[in-house]
Amino acid sequence: MSKRAPNSGGQQTNKREPVGVRHHRLHRPPAELAGGRITASTPMSPEMVDRLFWRAGFGPTDADRQQWTGNTLGAAVEWLLSTPAAYSGTPGTDQGAALDPTGNDSDLVLSWVDQMNRSINPFVERMTFFWHEHWANSRESVSPPQLLMTQTELFRRYADFATHPKANFADMAYAVTIDPSMLRYLTGELNVRGAPNENYAREFMELFTLGVTDAAGKPNYSQTDVEQLAKAFSGWQINDTNPNNVYSYFTQSRWYDGPKLVFGEFSNLTAADAVKLVLTRRAHAPFIVNAIWNEFIASEPDAATLKALTHLYTTSGMQIRPLMQAILMQPQLFESLDEPDMVKPPIVYVVGAMRAMGLKITDTTASDYLDGMGELPYFPPTVAGWEGGVSWLNTDTALARFSFIATLLQDTKIKDVQGETAAEAYARAYAAVGSPWLAPATQAKIMHFGAAAQSSTPDTRINRQITLRALILAGPDAQVM
Amino acid sequence: MSEATQGNAASEQFEQFERSIGEVHALRCADCARSDSMVEGVEPTSRVPIPPEALAGFPDGVPRPPVGRQSRRRFLLGSAVGMASIYSAAHLSWESVWDAAAARAATPAAETILVSIYLNGGNDGLNAIVPVSQAQYAGYMAQRQNIARVLGPSGGGKVGTTVMPGTGGTLAFANPLVSGTGNNGAPVGLDTLYGDGSGGAGSDLAIFPAADYQPANLSHFESRDYWFAGALDDQMATGWLGRWLDRYGSSTNPLQAVSINSTLSKSILTDTAPVCAISNLSQTNFQLPFANANPQIASLAGIAANPANLALTRSRATYGETVQMSHEVSGLNGVSTAPGYPSNSDLSSNLQLAATLLSAGLGTRIVTIDWGSFDTHGDQISSQDPQFAVLSQALAAFKADLIARGLEQNVLTLVYSEFGRRIGSNDSLGTDHGAGGLVMVSGSSVLGGLAGEHPGVQGDENDNLVPITDFRTVYQALISEWLGGDPAAILPDGPFPGIARYDGGTTLVK
Repeated sequence: MSKRAPNSGGQQTNKREPVGVRHHRLHRPPAELAGGRITASTPMSPEMVDRLFWRAGFGPTDADRQQWTGNTLGAAVEWLLSTPAAYSGTPGTDQGAALDPTGNDSDLVLSWVDQMNRSINPFVERMTFFWHEHWANSRESVSPPQLLMTQTELFRRYADFATHPKANFADMAYAVTIDPSMLRYLTGELNVRGAPNENYAREFMELFTLGVTDAAGKPNYSQTDVEQLAKAFSGWQINDTNPNNVYSYFTQSRWYDGPKLVFGEFSNLTAADAVKLVLTRRAHAPFIVNAIWNEFIASEPDAATLKALTHLYTTSGMQIRPLMQAILMQPQLFESLDEPDMVKPPIVYVVGAMRAMGLKITDTTASDYLDGMGELPYFPPTVAGWEGGVSWLNTDTALARFSFIATLLQDTKIKDVQGETAAEAYARAYAAVGSPWLAPATQAKIMHFGAAAQSSTPDTRINRQITLRALILAGPDAQVM
Repeated sequence: MSEATQGNAASEQFEQFERSIGEVHALRCADCARSDSMVEGVEPTSRVPIPPEALAGFPDGVPRPPVGRQSRRRFLLGSAVGMASIYSAAHLSWESVWDAAAARAATPAAETILVSIYLNGGNDGLNAIVPVSQAQYAGYMAQRQNIARVLGPSGGGKVGTTVMPGTGGTLAFANPLVSGTGNNGAPVGLDTLYGDGSGGAGSDLAIFPAADYQPANLSHFESRDYWFAGALDDQMATGWLGRWLDRYGSSTNPLQAVSINSTLSKSILTDTAPVCAISNLSQTNFQLPFANANPQIASLAGIAANPANLALTRSRATYGETVQMSHEVSGLNGVSTAPGYPSNSDLSSNLQLAATLLSAGLGTRIVTIDWGSFDTHGDQISSQDPQFAVLSQALAAFKADLIARGLEQNVLTLVYSEFGRRIGSNDSLGTDHGAGGLVMVSGSSVLGGLAGEHPGVQGDENDNLVPITDFRTVYQALISEWLGGDPAAILPDGPFPGIARYDGGTTLVK
C-alpha cells in the first residue's frame, strides 16, 4: 500500500506521515511459538491461517481454514505461489447487464474487483494489485482504458507464479518502461531525441526502483543521471489506432543515439540497457525488498533479515517468487496474532467483506464505496500510489466503511429463525460474515447487545441479525488484519 | 528531495518538445500528474480518549436515543431543553463531552475562526493581480503576450482589468475576479470585498500579490508540504494549524478543525489534538437500515487496545471520534441555502457546509477546503478565468452568509496556492511552475488593501517572480493577530518579517 519512495535502508523516506505511521515495531513472537521459530514446517494455528490469508489475499474462507489449519506454513505458501490465476462462478454484473470495462469507468473498476472477488487463488490478484500500487497509473490521464487493462495483465504475469515461476523484476521493469499505459501516463511517448522528457526517468529511479536516498541519506542519483537516463528512454511511441490492440514501438530516429553519462560512466544506452544499469545499483535490491515487505508486514525488517532477503533477490536474478516465498514465511508476518496490527486497505476490506458474505458484484456499490474509502482502483491519487497505512482511517472513511457493509446487508436476504436465542443469533451472524477476528472484549459487548435486543417478531429478529452482522463486520476491530 | 529543479526541468523539456512539434496539448508533467491529491495527507491523529462503556444498549432493544444525545439534537434544532438530565451517571464520559459541546453552542462562541482555502495546482497570481503601471505593464505584456490581460474592459477576445484603488494605479484585478456584467457576472466579487483598499469600513480583503519562500522549489509536492507544514521542511509530520491546535486547541473536540473532504488536509495534521474530515452531512451516523448504531459503535470504540498496536488503536479511536462528530453534527441536515453562491461548484457546497458547521457552535476554529485545478500548463485562460469568477462570487457569498448568521466578524478566510507561475508564458497558452503565489485574506475584521507589495515582472534568472512576502509572514500574523498564541511556538525558523502594507501599515487585522 504505502510506498512513496521507500528507501533502501529499512525505513521509509516518507517521513511526512504523522508519527507512528508504519513505524510500528512489535517483535512479539506468536504466542503459540514461544521458544520456537516459524519455519516452513510450522503447523499453522487457525490464527496463522487467518493472518496469512488476510495479508496474502482477501481474508480466509471457511474452506481455507479447514484446509490449512494444522497443515504447514510452507505448504500453504507453496499453494499461494503455485496456483494459477483462475476465477470461480460467473462474472459479476451491473444492474443485470454485463460489465463493460471499456464503456465506463465504474465497470472498469468493477471488472477487476469482480476478478478479486471470484479469484480461486486470491494471492495472484492481491499481488497484481500491489504492482498497480507500485507502478501507479491513473485513468485520469490514461486513455483508452484498454491501456490500463493491458497493463494489469502485464502485472498479473508478475504475480501468477504458477504460470510464470521465474518472473523477475528486471524483465518487469523493462516491460513497464515500454508499456503503452506508462508511456502515456508519464508522457514517455513524447520523449524524443533533442528534447528529452525527464518525467519517466525521474520516477523510474525515485518511485519505482531506487528511492531518492539510501539508508544513510545519500542521494541514489543526481539530476544529471535523470537527464541522461531520459535520453536512453527516448524514441518510444504508442500506436492506438485500434484501441483493442494498442502497442508501443520504437523509432530509431527519435532515439538519442549517442553517449549518455549515467552514474559517472559514458555509454550509448538503450532503454533496455538503462533499466539494467539502474537495477544493478546497490540501492535497488533493498528498495524493492522493503516495498514488497511493507505491503504484507506491519513492522520493519531488521538489518540481518533485510540483508538476507536482498541477497536472495539478487542471487536469484531478481526473481520475485523466491522473495515472496521468504516474505510470506517471515515470523514478523505472524506477530501480534491476538490483536492484528495492520489496517486493511480499502480494496482488501471491500473484497474481503464480499467474499466473507458470499456476495457477487451486481451493481456499483463496491466501486462507489471504494471511492468513499479513498482507494478507487485505476485512480491512484498520484504516480506515488496511495499513502496507505493508518492514513486509510479518518472520520469520513470510517463512515464509508460502515455504510458499505450496511448497504450490503440491506441487500442481503436474511432468514428469520423463530425462537432463536441470543447466543444462537450471534453465532449465526458471526458465521454469516466469515467469522472474523474480534477482540474478546468486543465479542462480549456485541453478544451483550444481542441479548438486549428485541426478538419477539420476525422484523425485530431480522434487525437483530443485521445489527449483529454490521457490528461484527463493520466495527473498529474489523478494520485490522 | 531535490526534485524541485528537476521537476521544472522536466516540464521545460516537455514544453520545448511541444513547441518543437507545434502542438498544444493539455498534458501533464510527471510532477503534475502525481500532484493532484498529495494535498490531503493522512487523517486525524486520534488520541482522544474514548470513554469506556460510553453507551450500552441496542438500537431496537433499549429506549434510545440517550437523553444527552436527544438534548443535543433538539438543541441544535433550536428548542430549549433542560441540561440537568444529561449527567446520567452511566453515561458520564460521553455525555460530558457532549455537554461541553452543548455549552459551547449555548454561549455563541466569540472565538476566532480561520477558513483556509487551498487552490490546488499553483495559481497564476500574475494573471489575477496585474501590474498595470506603464513600466511594468510593458514587461508583463512582452513576456506573456498570448495570455496577457488588456487594460480596461474586456473586449476583442481579450480579458480586461480593473484598477485596484489604493495602489497608486499600479495594480489591477483581472476582470473575472471583479463584480458585474462582462466580469464575473455577479453583483459582488473581489472588488466589492476589497472596497477602497484603505482598510477602513468596507475594505475587507487583504491582498499579498506574491507570497512564497525562497529559493523557489517548483515542485508541487515540496511546495505544498512547505505551505501545509508552515516550514521549509518536508519531513514535518504536523501542519502549521495542527501544531496550533496541539498547543492552543481542545484535547477532546474533533470538530475544532474540519477538513471538508474525505481526507484530512496536511495543514491540520496534529500530534495529539483530535481533528476530523467531513465530506457531507448526508451520512454522518453509523446508520443501519432501521436504526442508528452510534451507541454500540461508541461502546466498541471504547475498548482499550495495546498502545503498541497503532492500527487497532487508530481504528478504535477513529470510530470513537466519528461517533463524537456524528453526535455534534447529526442535527445539521440542511446545508446553507443562502443566496449568491455560484451554482454547481464544489467550492460553493464546501463553503455552504462550512457556514452550516460554523453556525452550529461546535467549537470549530479551523476549516480547510481544497479546491480547483490551477495547474495551467496549457490553455490557461479558459481554465483559470471561470474558476476566478466562481472564487470571487463564492467568497463574497460566503461573507454574506456568515453576516446573516451573525458570525462574520469571527471568521477570516485565507486563500492560497502552493506557488505562482512562471512570468513568461509558454507556447501552449499556459504557464509553468513558478514562484510567488497570490494570497488573500477576507473578512470584515481584516484590514483590507494591498498588504504586501507586488514584486514587478523583472524576474530572477529562472524567469520567476521574486516574492516580496514570505508566506510565513502571513501565518505569523494570523496566529498573533487572529487565532491567538505565540507564532514562535508554531513556526520554526522565525520570527519572520512583519506585514508591510503598501500604505505603510504593519497589521493584518483591523
